[in-house]
Amino acid sequence: MGLGSQAGCLVLALVLLSPAVLSESAVAQAPSAAEIARGKYIFGATGGCGCHTIPKQPVNAGGRKYDGPFGTVYASNITPDRETGIGGWTDEQIIAAIRLGRRSNGERLVPVHPYTVFNGMAADDLKALVAFLRTVPAVKRANQPKKITVPMFESVFLPAWLSAFAPRETPPATVPTSGVARGEYLVRAVGHCGECHTPRTMTMATDNSRFLAGNPKGPEDSEVPNITPDKATGLAWSEEEIADYLGTGNKPDGDVVGGLMGEVIEGTLAGYKDLTKADRLAIAQYLKTIPAVKNKIGK
Amino acid sequence: MELRHVRTGVILGSLVALAVVGCATGTTTTTGASDPIANRQRLMKNVGANWAEIQNKVKAGNAEAVAVNAEVLSLHAQRITSYFPEGSLTDKSKAKPEIWQKWPEFQAAAKNLENRAGTLRDQAVAKDAAAVTTTVGTFGRDACGACHTPFRVPPPQQQPAAPRS
Repeated sequence: MGLGSQAGCLVLALVLLSPAVLSESAVAQAPSAAEIARGKYIFGATGGCGCHTIPKQPVNAGGRKYDGPFGTVYASNITPDRETGIGGWTDEQIIAAIRLGRRSNGERLVPVHPYTVFNGMAADDLKALVAFLRTVPAVKRANQPKKITVPMFESVFLPAWLSAFAPRETPPATVPTSGVARGEYLVRAVGHCGECHTPRTMTMATDNSRFLAGNPKGPEDSEVPNITPDKATGLAWSEEEIADYLGTGNKPDGDVVGGLMGEVIEGTLAGYKDLTKADRLAIAQYLKTIPAVKNKIGK
Repeated sequence: MELRHVRTGVILGSLVALAVVGCATGTTTTTGASDPIANRQRLMKNVGANWAEIQNKVKAGNAEAVAVNAEVLSLHAQRITSYFPEGSLTDKSKAKPEIWQKWPEFQAAAKNLENRAGTLRDQAVAKDAAAVTTTVGTFGRDACGACHTPFRVPPPQQQPAAPRS
């Protein structure tokens, strides 16, 4: 490196370290109120990240238990607590965990956290979501270690499963804003509807050839309805009825939602109920376009 | 004179006997001692029918007319806990065991429905259409869903919509 280039580097370093540039860059990084509001909206569109909250306990503080064929995992604390939550993580590290299932130390997350579909979320939405997560009250609650019962699960089985069987979504370059494309984005990626409503194969991957066709053995042993437009076994509601249901929990027959669907509609700090009518209708329009699959769930 | 006394006595006796029989029959029906699961499912169907009617009336701009349905919901809510005697859990039931593990919470959820339905009735009686519409907007989640979410296994299939009047 010549003297000229060394001097150039020095000047560049001085410029970059000058207080004016530093404060400008800090200002540029601070999320606006609008971005935080957008993040809260996305947070609601995921169902309020409810898996990370034990009902009636501090929001996002983790600890909720999930049993699977591989063992037991506990939801992580995703509050901004620096010691036990994600307060010490950079935005990029949090986004990598959401989309790619990697912790800041490189460790893989068990795909109970649905990164196999959250990888379809748009970058702008993820940034806004992270900005909102940082505004939620910090809670000091240590994460409970997972109990994996399958030998070599994380070193061999999980990487192999991810490369061979796990679905992949493609994030849109820009977020769709209306119509069926918007509905598809909300259903497939943000709302991660398929995680519960799509049946799984023997490998436990979602069987996307029967997308949203219901799952007789869903989370927490629930029977999850077929919401494809199949007339006999699927969702026969009108678009308006579907949109109303997502906003109010009311079914056309007078019944009212409960269980896990009740949780995601209600959400925590926000839920599906907080989606705009336009977005709820977009979801309904998309659900009418997916292939009808005959699959009766329950007796 | 004596005959009149006898007649009066017979009439009064008959009325008391009828009242006793009526009460006894009523008691058997309301507590659901025979089949609490069938009884509570019937009760909840009626709750759902009234709730559907409330929504339909509000959508039709007839908010004041929901008073009678809200009154029914409030009365039904008072009976809910009596339809869940301990141990009344078979594969026909969608009740979760948490009902009996968290009985005070379940009682509070039933009371919440009773109170909210009472509020809705009062708003309708007062002909306050705006208040009725606001209450109905969140009633499903707050009054029904708040109990269904923790205490009921969701029905797997979507029910066909009830015919609308």
